[in-house]
Amino acid sequence: MIEAKEINKFYGKGESRFQVLKNITLTIRDGDFTVILGASGSGKSTLLNTLSSLEHPDSGNIFYDKTDITKLSESDLTKLRRDDIGFIFQQYYLLPNMNVDKNVKMGAALAKNKDYRTIIDAVGLSGKLRKYPGELSGGEQQRVSVARALAKNPKVLFLDEPTGALDEETGRQVLDYICTLQKKYGFTIVMVTHNVNIAEMADTVIKMNSGKISEIYSNEIRKTAYEIGW
Amino acid sequence: MKFEKPLMRLDGEKMLIGIKDIAKLFAISIVTCCAAFVCALFLNYNIDIVGIKDKITNPQGIIMYNAQVASGKVVAGVSGGCLVVTTVVLLIFYVKNYIDSHGKELGILKALGYSEINIARRFWVFGISVLIGTVIGYAAAAVYMPTFYDIQNDMELLPEMQPEFHSFLTFSLIAFPTVFFMLLSVLYAFFKMKHPVLGLLRESQNIKIRKSKGKKNDEKDMPFLTDLKKNTIRSRKILVFFVGFSAFCFSSMTQMSMSMKELSSESFSFMMISIGLILAFMTLLMSLSSVVKSNTKTIAMMKVFGYSQKECSSSVLYGYRPVSYVGFAVGTVYQYMLLKIVVDVIFADFENMPEFHFNFKALGISLIAFLAAYEIIIYCYSRKISRQSVKSIMLE
Repeated sequence: MIEAKEINKFYGKGESRFQVLKNITLTIRDGDFTVILGASGSGKSTLLNTLSSLEHPDSGNIFYDKTDITKLSESDLTKLRRDDIGFIFQQYYLLPNMNVDKNVKMGAALAKNKDYRTIIDAVGLSGKLRKYPGELSGGEQQRVSVARALAKNPKVLFLDEPTGALDEETGRQVLDYICTLQKKYGFTIVMVTHNVNIAEMADTVIKMNSGKISEIYSNEIRKTAYEIGW
Repeated sequence: MKFEKPLMRLDGEKMLIGIKDIAKLFAISIVTCCAAFVCALFLNYNIDIVGIKDKITNPQGIIMYNAQVASGKVVAGVSGGCLVVTTVVLLIFYVKNYIDSHGKELGILKALGYSEINIARRFWVFGISVLIGTVIGYAAAAVYMPTFYDIQNDMELLPEMQPEFHSFLTFSLIAFPTVFFMLLSVLYAFFKMKHPVLGLLRESQNIKIRKSKGKKNDEKDMPFLTDLKKNTIRSRKILVFFVGFSAFCFSSMTQMSMSMKELSSESFSFMMISIGLILAFMTLLMSLSSVVKSNTKTIAMMKVFGYSQKECSSSVLYGYRPVSYVGFAVGTVYQYMLLKIVVDVIFADFENMPEFHFNFKALGISLIAFLAAYEIIIYCYSRKISRQSVKSIMLE
């Protein structure tokens, strides 16, 4: 379980200093699919980065079960990311000079996962193991990034606008892969999006506006990637 | 009616090269400063000494005259030549790096309709660094020249000389190199701008995919970090060359200057050692900073995934270590061969010329200094990377 208590985060200095996160308190249950929904500039990506230990809050606490990660040293945070967390970004950030197999191996090597090719197979890329990121479409690159994140067997998967750079069909496909794999492996998902339709796929939706949580609600029925609008 | 430039054009020009970019070229200024200093000093002396040739009557004076003329030519030629080659390499490297890291802006300008030559001609400003360096170097030589002449006069083997001003030397050492390097920057940029617009816009264009020859290598199940180390080196051959070249410069310049102590006067060798060390450290610092800069995104991604600082450094930075050792070894052989040729061929007719042997002491000192400098710089950059937040790296 991830618990955030009164998180505050500021950017800038002096006159240009402004508050990006204002007293954020939330709880994310294990195995949940949580969507952080908000317009551009609402602070949703900063919240994701803070929850995932990529950024430090200026005040407040974040608990992973009973461990307060705001108190951890840089090496402990590295260990946390190594053992428990997976990331998927809008821009994929694949290693351009390594092929699909080796990009996924980047995640797998951390978890000593020798069966990582089953995940490549699960995202439908087993025929493109030797292809380089520059030779793949946007959707395929994002699927590599999904496989890379899952190959390290994370307990929590953080996704920052994973379909932001994809067309509708490819976006649905990627989301479907992620949901199918979540059912199989049972990891927690925290996803940032500005697309209200994608929120219908989640268990819990956290709406953000101007750095504050404006609403938290649960969906009684989770829709699939092919049932939502776009 | 007055014709005004469209705003877009002005904005486009602003997008190109700023003062900040030129400031980064300080290494070129330092190298050209050294080149102008050495060449101005020795060439001026050589021109002046030729003017008093008729006044030399005693045989000892003639021997001294011939030795001075020959060693002046060698020092100006060898160190000036080395420094010019270094400047060419540095300048091309800077222009290439600039185009690679500003590919998107340049691609947009090209897409907007700016011609290749219109964009490339803005790169003349890179030559300003050469102008600054040569002016300072020439001025320093002019200031030091009376002292330098006094040292030579004190030997009392040649008629007393005073430094004279030679305008064509000023032209050759300031105006000519400046124009040459400005043209070189423009031409190289023009050549690089030949890439299609989409190629410039795509970031991945800068990283060439090196496919293994055949499936065998690709399927080799080596550990990820070892694989990454190999791939990082293979994907940016220009950096491999530059790291090797900097080690080559370090090795050859430091050893050559120490060996020349035995072959020439104290002031000659002091100058060579100073210039050698400046050049060696500049190129080494620049090459390693480029290695770190070009791999920051890979390091950032590794940190996000939970790779430790040590793993990041070892896979990205330490891979260049063997390359630097090879560069050092080649530099050692090169300086030995060069000095051997100078002694055996150019000074062959001179009496009392000491026999030249490989200088193991110089090799030892140079190697220890190189290892220390290399590891300290790598350590400093590793620390710098560890202090940078992942977000700041990814936003770059």
